[in-house]
Amino acid sequence: MIDVKHLSKAFGDNLVLDNIDQHIYPGEKVVIIGPSGSGKSTFLRCLNLLETPTAGTITFDGAVVTDPKADIDKIRQQMGMVFQHFNLFPNMTVRKNITLAPVRTKLMGQAEADDTATALLKRVGLEEKADAYPAQLSGGQKQRIAIVRALAMKPKLMLFDEPTSALDPEMVGEVLEVMKELAQDGMTMVVVTHEMGFAREVGSRVLFMDEGHVMEEGKPEDIFSRPQNPRLQEFLSKVLH
Amino acid sequence: MDPTALYESFKALQNPNFFQDAYMQFYKAWFAEDRWLTYFKGLSTTLYVTVIALAIGVVLGVLVATVRTAHDQQRPGRHNPFLGIVNAVCRVYVTIIRGTPMMVQLMIMGFAVFATSREKTLVGALTLGINSGAYVAEIIRGGLMSLDPGQMEAGRSLGLGYLDTMRFVVIPQAFKAILPSLGNEFIVLLKDTSLISVVSGKEIVYFARAIVTKTYEPMAPYLITAAMYLVLVLIFSWLQGKLERRLRQSDRR
Repeated sequence: MIDVKHLSKAFGDNLVLDNIDQHIYPGEKVVIIGPSGSGKSTFLRCLNLLETPTAGTITFDGAVVTDPKADIDKIRQQMGMVFQHFNLFPNMTVRKNITLAPVRTKLMGQAEADDTATALLKRVGLEEKADAYPAQLSGGQKQRIAIVRALAMKPKLMLFDEPTSALDPEMVGEVLEVMKELAQDGMTMVVVTHEMGFAREVGSRVLFMDEGHVMEEGKPEDIFSRPQNPRLQEFLSKVLH
Repeated sequence: MDPTALYESFKALQNPNFFQDAYMQFYKAWFAEDRWLTYFKGLSTTLYVTVIALAIGVVLGVLVATVRTAHDQQRPGRHNPFLGIVNAVCRVYVTIIRGTPMMVQLMIMGFAVFATSREKTLVGALTLGINSGAYVAEIIRGGLMSLDPGQMEAGRSLGLGYLDTMRFVVIPQAFKAILPSLGNEFIVLLKDTSLISVVSGKEIVYFARAIVTKTYEPMAPYLITAAMYLVLVLIFSWLQGKLERRLRQSDRR
């Protein structure tokens, strides 16, 4: 589904991603873990070109994302993204947040978009918040709405950039629950997270990144039970306690 | 009591006290020869100049800010050479306008560029508009830049185009953020219209000065002028406050 070849990204002299090759298959739940500054968020943001790679190519469903002539808006319509800080639009109601993109990109009419919004909100248990403004919601509610907003575009793939890192601890569960359901429905997902429990339970493949490289990858049980790379062993000993 | 009769009675006094003297000055600056009419004539010019300058300033400011922001937000490797040239022109414009005094700009426009023009008021309005545009541009650009980049990213990640994201997400929020600075700029502009009297634009100060040359008593005419500006600014501040409260709706918890 996504093919990444020789991907490198540098900010000035700082090489954040160093020649990464990856392939993400339909239906996979790829979980990316690693210490901060390892390049995992940058990798995720390169996939939908929020960061422009310094070198390498990314192909999504046959379309070359990194081609300067690519219609990046069309490509992004099929890739949902959920941010660490939610990034809901504070000047709009929840309903408008969800329906803006489907209506403006002519994916749906306003009525159909409203119905979609209602159905999706019901799915995450927030249908009564449709007319609220983001400032009236808790962090967990905001993040569930951000997920719904991305889903309203009917994406083929969902990217999650540390979706629970900015949440109060008691709200992490409700967001992970929504993500688990999404995974069970067969959505292809790429998740950058520090939630090792989630990685172990939901991930079909785990990538451990450090210093711009994928140091180790494999099934969650192998990564967590039989880590080979010393950096991964050290990382896990620090985060699993 | 009739103002004129009061004036005559004070005038007859040998030693008028402070208040009586002040009243006489005020009478000469306001009631005598129906002079109060000329202040309002000047006031209407002031408002007219402000509106024209504001319109020019906002249009120029939006254009320049759009060019500057669009230029700075281009994707690496996709630089538009035409945009680069327009951006350079905009930067020169902002630099020159902000780097030279308003008064000097007025003199150049009024006495040199449009030396033969008889519509000095209009020349003044044009100059003020061009001047204001540079400041408005920087205010708008600041507002667009200050918004969390995550908002633009969220819009773009949903597949919305740059212009759509600007229109529905960035600009409404930026507008709310810059409203106080824009109001401030408007107030500065309103008061700067007084400067066009140097190129004989016929606004309040121009008429106040004309009255002073007749009465040789500068205190009252200039105080009246100051009061008129103050009232205008107070009315405007009140309207601005109302607008800001209305835009703050989505912030309620």
